[in-house]
Amino acid sequence: MAEVSLRHIKKIYPNTEKKKKKDEPAHRTTHLKVTAEGIVAVDDFNLEIKDREFIVLVGPSGCGKSTTLRMVAGLEEISGGELLIDGKLMNDVAPKDRDIAMVFQSYALYPHMTVRENMAFPLKLKKVPQAEIDKKVNEAAEILGITEYLERKPKALSGGQRQRVAIGRAIVREPKVLLMDEPLSNLDAKLRNQMRAEIIKLRQRINTTFLYVTHDQTEAMTLGDRIVIMKDGEVQQIGTPQEVFDHPSNLFVSGFIGVPQMNYFDAKLVKTDGKYAVELDGKTIELSPEKQERLAANNVEAQDITLGVRPEHIALFGEGSQMFHGKVDVSEMMGSSVHLHLQSLGQDVIVIVPTMDLQGIHHDGISIGQEIAFTFGGNVVHVFAKDGKNLEF
Amino acid sequence: MEKNTLSAENRRKSILSAVLGVICIIYVLPVVAVVINSFKVNTFVKTNTFDLPRGEMWAGFTNFIKGMTFGNYPFWKSAMYSALITVLSTALILLFTSMAAWYIARVNSKFCKLVYYLCVFSMVVPFQMVMFTLSKTADKLHLNTPWTIPIVYLGFGAGLAIFMFVGFVKSIPIEIEEAASIDGCGPLRTYFSVVFPMLRPTMISVGILEIMWVWNDYLLPVLVLDINEYRTIPIHIQYLKGSYGTVDLGATMALILMSIIPVIIFYLACQKYIIKGVAAGAVKG
Repeated sequence: MAEVSLRHIKKIYPNTEKKKKKDEPAHRTTHLKVTAEGIVAVDDFNLEIKDREFIVLVGPSGCGKSTTLRMVAGLEEISGGELLIDGKLMNDVAPKDRDIAMVFQSYALYPHMTVRENMAFPLKLKKVPQAEIDKKVNEAAEILGITEYLERKPKALSGGQRQRVAIGRAIVREPKVLLMDEPLSNLDAKLRNQMRAEIIKLRQRINTTFLYVTHDQTEAMTLGDRIVIMKDGEVQQIGTPQEVFDHPSNLFVSGFIGVPQMNYFDAKLVKTDGKYAVELDGKTIELSPEKQERLAANNVEAQDITLGVRPEHIALFGEGSQMFHGKVDVSEMMGSSVHLHLQSLGQDVIVIVPTMDLQGIHHDGISIGQEIAFTFGGNVVHVFAKDGKNLEF
Repeated sequence: MEKNTLSAENRRKSILSAVLGVICIIYVLPVVAVVINSFKVNTFVKTNTFDLPRGEMWAGFTNFIKGMTFGNYPFWKSAMYSALITVLSTALILLFTSMAAWYIARVNSKFCKLVYYLCVFSMVVPFQMVMFTLSKTADKLHLNTPWTIPIVYLGFGAGLAIFMFVGFVKSIPIEIEEAASIDGCGPLRTYFSVVFPMLRPTMISVGILEIMWVWNDYLLPVLVLDINEYRTIPIHIQYLKGSYGTVDLGATMALILMSIIPVIIFYLACQKYIIKGVAAGAVKG
């Protein structure tokens, strides 16, 4: 239970020192800023976390999300800025005195201790009376459903059970902030879904502030009260899952959130009589009043733009002058929906069609090579400037 | 076609087995010779070296009794000093080198690298090269008693031990230590509560190597210790030589056999931990 403030947090790895981090080796492939001081892994990170809030840091590997988390934990030195937990400056406080707990991707259980000893270890170090330790460990074990494994060693447990123990070890301490570094990444897909639901449940049972790192956008969307999307050490957008999905601040965010990725078209933004519209392939789509207002407020001029449309916002079939035409290239049956890859406007366009709709319209399903018409409304398009910025912001 | 390659494979395997079997016998033969000759009457040791001690050759335990009572230095005292030096040296080596190795493996500084390479380098320096200056220095620093000679052993044993420990520490995920530091451990606590128990397999491997080396070592104690006062078992055996160069081979063999028994027992007792240690490194868990 605590408020956490990260103010202008910065992490710079001096050039002389090689960055040694297994989980983020993408260093060379990303475009981190390099200054005279060294490589900037995290640049000017600002975030005010409210008490009991669940914050998810998400981004591709090498974006600095783990580094940020490790700076909050005290495992990584903070090169600049201020970290406050409950109003107290924590920059130079040792990890053990920050009153935080952390769950690691690799579980990091003590292999020579039983599950009970693992979970009791932080309490023992705090010199909590034995009776209370037992009580807390048993409680946590019950919440996590690992009571029957308490006397086992970690190596006798499965991955999911080990991660539960790791979470147990973190929650017995009742930390102010619970840090989680990709806790589900080592689990298989089914178990990951299950554990994700359990983390949501766990969150309702314990009163603590969560800071959660993941590269998986599904985890970010489902778990977070607010999501922080990072790239190359810089925060791209902070907002609720709905906000970042509906109003991505730039091309990167729009592409990172949402599966499959948003479709992009080279289009033109036109302004006639104070009304904004987009021109694509000779067709004009007028923007919704809400978008008109935002663009007008920003005094946006007519210009070449990148038009973004999510696959689920494209409607198939119909007649009229506003229809685009394409040929079905690939059809992926996903169960509840079908992902169609269309060849249209000289590029690949992905459309998600709910299976039910498809059956209603086309009893025979869709065949490869078939000509199909599609359209989208002015309320679902995203207007990005050529430099990637969302013009509505 | 496949059958042919399979049988060729089998033939190759059986040839290899035969060759390795012969090599194995060559290795074991001296030990067998020691065992059978320790029960043989002295005069037959030279003439019928590889015969079993039958009939008139059978000496029973007389060689053992002779060996232990020969000369004016009691055997139990040598055994005690040997044990003292071995235990103390091994304990010192295990404690200090594992700590040093942990530091070297985790702190990525030029100083640590230098220390590490110095330790590795010390493994290739032969003892004979430094023994003269060393015995002088040991005398000056009063390291010439069974209680202080373990410090000299620590110096000589550190190279191999640090080399092995550093390799193992590097294979331990650092997250475990980070978890400990978040859970409330300082460096010392992290070492003793978390790192030390995880090092156990390597501790045992290194321990066995060091014990066998120190227990059997002849040159260092003979150079450093005051021979009239402190003898270890290898020195004691050397003193079975008579004043005119005559050697009671039967008694020598008997004492050699007695001196290797503790090491063999120790090795057998710890064998399962060694195998466990190797397996623990191989399987992630």
